[in-house]
Amino acid sequence: MTAAGRAARALGVSAAVLALLGPLLLPGEYPATLGISIATFAVLATGLNLVYGYTGLLSFAQVAFFGIGAYTSALLVVQRGWSLWVAFVAGGIVAALLGLVVAHASLRLSRHAFSIVSLSLALLCLIVARDWVSLTRGPMGLPGLPAPRLLVPGLGAVAVDRPGVFYGVVLAFAVVALAATHRLVHSRVGRALVAIKLNEALAQSHGVDPLRYRLLAIGVSALLTGMAGGLFVFHLTIVDPSIFDFYYTETMLIMVITGGPGSFWGVVGAAVVISALPDLLRFSTDLRMVLYGIVLIAAVLAFPGGVGGWIARRRLLRWRRALS
Amino acid sequence: MGRIDRRLPIALLLVWLGAVTPAGAQEPIHIGSSIPITGGVAFFGQHSRWGTELAIAEANAAGGVLGRKIEVNFQDNRCNPAEAVKSVTQMLGEKKYVAMLDGLCSGVVLAIMPLIERAQIPLVVANASATAVAEKSGAGGNKWTFKVNPTDASLAEAMVAWLAKEGKIANIAFLGEDTDFGRSGMLGFQSALGRRGQKLASTDFYQQGTADFTAVFTKLRAQKPASLALYAIAADFQNLIRQYHSFGVGIPLTGRVLSDQIPKEILASGALDGTSSVQPYTPEVETAGNKAFVAAFQKMHGNPPNLLSYMSYETTRVLLDAIKRAGKADPAAIRDALEKTKLSSLLGDEIEFDKNNLAHKNAVILTIKNGQIVVLGLSRT
Amino acid sequence: MAMGLSLIFGVLEIVNFAHGEFYMLGAMIAYFLVARLHVGYWPMIAGVTLAVAALGVVLYEALLASVRGRSFERSILLTLGVSMVLQNGAIALWTTTPRMVETEYAYTNVTAGGIRIPLLRVFALALAAAAFAALFTVLHRTRIGKAMRGLAQNPDAALMVGIDPRAVSRLAGAIGIGLAGLAGAALAPIYSVHPTMGFAFVFKAFAVIIVGGLGDVRGAAIAAVALGVVESFVAGFFPLILVDAVAFVAMILFLLFRPAGLFGRGVRV
Repeated sequence: MTAAGRAARALGVSAAVLALLGPLLLPGEYPATLGISIATFAVLATGLNLVYGYTGLLSFAQVAFFGIGAYTSALLVVQRGWSLWVAFVAGGIVAALLGLVVAHASLRLSRHAFSIVSLSLALLCLIVARDWVSLTRGPMGLPGLPAPRLLVPGLGAVAVDRPGVFYGVVLAFAVVALAATHRLVHSRVGRALVAIKLNEALAQSHGVDPLRYRLLAIGVSALLTGMAGGLFVFHLTIVDPSIFDFYYTETMLIMVITGGPGSFWGVVGAAVVISALPDLLRFSTDLRMVLYGIVLIAAVLAFPGGVGGWIARRRLLRWRRALS
Repeated sequence: MGRIDRRLPIALLLVWLGAVTPAGAQEPIHIGSSIPITGGVAFFGQHSRWGTELAIAEANAAGGVLGRKIEVNFQDNRCNPAEAVKSVTQMLGEKKYVAMLDGLCSGVVLAIMPLIERAQIPLVVANASATAVAEKSGAGGNKWTFKVNPTDASLAEAMVAWLAKEGKIANIAFLGEDTDFGRSGMLGFQSALGRRGQKLASTDFYQQGTADFTAVFTKLRAQKPASLALYAIAADFQNLIRQYHSFGVGIPLTGRVLSDQIPKEILASGALDGTSSVQPYTPEVETAGNKAFVAAFQKMHGNPPNLLSYMSYETTRVLLDAIKRAGKADPAAIRDALEKTKLSSLLGDEIEFDKNNLAHKNAVILTIKNGQIVVLGLSRT
Repeated sequence: MAMGLSLIFGVLEIVNFAHGEFYMLGAMIAYFLVARLHVGYWPMIAGVTLAVAALGVVLYEALLASVRGRSFERSILLTLGVSMVLQNGAIALWTTTPRMVETEYAYTNVTAGGIRIPLLRVFALALAAAAFAALFTVLHRTRIGKAMRGLAQNPDAALMVGIDPRAVSRLAGAIGIGLAGLAGAALAPIYSVHPTMGFAFVFKAFAVIIVGGLGDVRGAAIAAVALGVVESFVAGFFPLILVDAVAFVAMILFLLFRPAGLFGRGVRV
């Protein structure tokens, strides 16, 4: 890497760190609230990217994992008195188990069966959340979720009730989740996943068991997505069936596709931009979602392969130039 | 550091400009409102917005409040708590809003309540119906939230009390929307009937946005209940009523039948005679105030008002009245003034908040006779 | 409705998330024709179908032509974007007030065997049957239909035998979206018309085409009828809310037993 490249990289990293800490330093609750949403969606989009981008399975069930994690952790805290720090992990585990069961059953048929079953799962979850009234309180939801407490050395138990503090927690979780996914996709496992996506038969002939690797990807993705849901609803202080909103599925798909499926940083970047976009358009009350749609169409026409594809093409060009 | 030095004169200039502007006489009073403008329940948000806009337009035409114009910023929340939290936090961050209006969906209001409590800005709810909102307000803890519309439980009680008087509480079937509106309506009906030793013959819920009710009507016709309690609203209600008519279902309706949204032809056909209904509001109420409201609303928005627009209109009036009595556009003063609200509504009753910051407005009981809507009376909720 | 979706998918390999919005547009145009211009029922049906099919051509030329081929993902994004623009644009333009389309047959019923059936439903059913028959004939009996099927099966070979993919795709887009418009026009006098009406239909349409086999018109029609029958059967005996689960349970069961769809050409994505 050239000196200029190194300097640019250092600048980029420090800008990123500043941007991450921004919501903690800026006055008011809004930057932190937006930050929580961005960090959460970065995890959700990366979860979908792991399943769709790296493994090639189009999953509509991410929102189901998100909601299941949310309901599980909310119920465990409200009804069983668990600490959120245990409950949100439990939410992730429940989501992962469900994901594994469903994926195991449907993947043996075909990849498409998995897509369809995942869509059905998301809708069934919505119906269950609405109609199993004795457990979920149906459309009335579970309001008034208590603020979690965090043990800080020297300060004792601190209530995480301010968006600023909560942002710190979500950010920490997001960094860990993204780092774990990053490691996974850049390991032997990640390469095996891509190999299966590109050519299943060939991968199989090299001794890679596609089902096992796919299940691993889905399990990890559901775990992280469920945990994100478990944390996120404690920021909202309420969980109701709108947590299964199809809008979330659309948003995740948009993030992964504009970012470029299979491009780790492309998708993270797209998640940041796209979760902020509808809020940046709030200046127009009536045309906000119309503008959102137009930006989306324009983005597809401008970057056919997503941002990740664009970056990859640029890199390819640079290599070609360097070689010639 | 050179950049900060350059900014300093500009900042000073702004401070100076602020100081010489005639003490905020031209600066409007800002109110925020986070309601669904897109998504499945955009229709409700639309009417809430129209009601508020009419009340604001009237106040501004009359010279504003405290000599200042009122401005409302409507933000979309898709009826989703996540969007509501973002939109309300954004507005609160701007520091210029003295109060928040509505929220519309119960889940949304419950998610907003901790935010406005922390920011110490009053929230006046017009349309969210969950009892949890009032339970958590006033004596229930959240001193900044006020709720003008009656709860579903109290409306159902008023309806069942009337049905009991008429001897019509046996064998009632229930058909409602699968949201907190239909669900809590069903619970309200069930407990009101339970107190009189009856229970619902059957309960059915349909998903919001369902277009076809053929199947459930076929089932109900076979079941032959004495009457059908209907909790439907907006486009679903219109679909229901049209199909009820064209299939000749013939079971007398009760519950929350939106008398104002029945097509004229169906009403005139007499197919709905014997229907009874309870509403927080209906345009047919014959008070001078209501007639003027219906006319003004129709003129401004090209549509007749419904109960959502009415509730938002009254709620906005309650808030403006409180700002006036507070004497200054200060959130804490407005909150104190809201507690002492005593305002006559268009229906002729007094709006006052109880210890849970809940107003007990009148409910309208009406029936359909000979193809005509007849208001039977008002009942305190 | 599902037939149109199936056609677009089969020929263009595009998953059209905006299909429900074209159904809504069809119904909205129907409303304006009837309420403002006082057009009768049959001219309205024809006018709406043509108008929406024309919109289909515009959509294809402006956006979808560029994603023809291997970019499945871009088609999802584009149609999602179109769907957002259309749905929310309709809210901003026409407000969310539900409207009634009052045609001359609004309150006419036919009585058959003691059961009252609204005449408009009979018409809607007849229109759906006619559309299916017409589409089936076009696909199997005419040159252009054969070209479409050829394009769906093997784009490269189709190109070699002299089929202009662009023209054929444009026509498939127009017919597919036109069918959504026709569905909107036929159902507008039965249901109330409002900007978010397309939303609920899309899921069912997806269920129907998957059960029927993607890209298979005959399968889609039969699956639609079967789904309707199953749904009313369930609603007659079980709580109404289960109806919505039925489409998806049926879908899962179907995939378990007939992974290739009703007439099994294989599900291709």
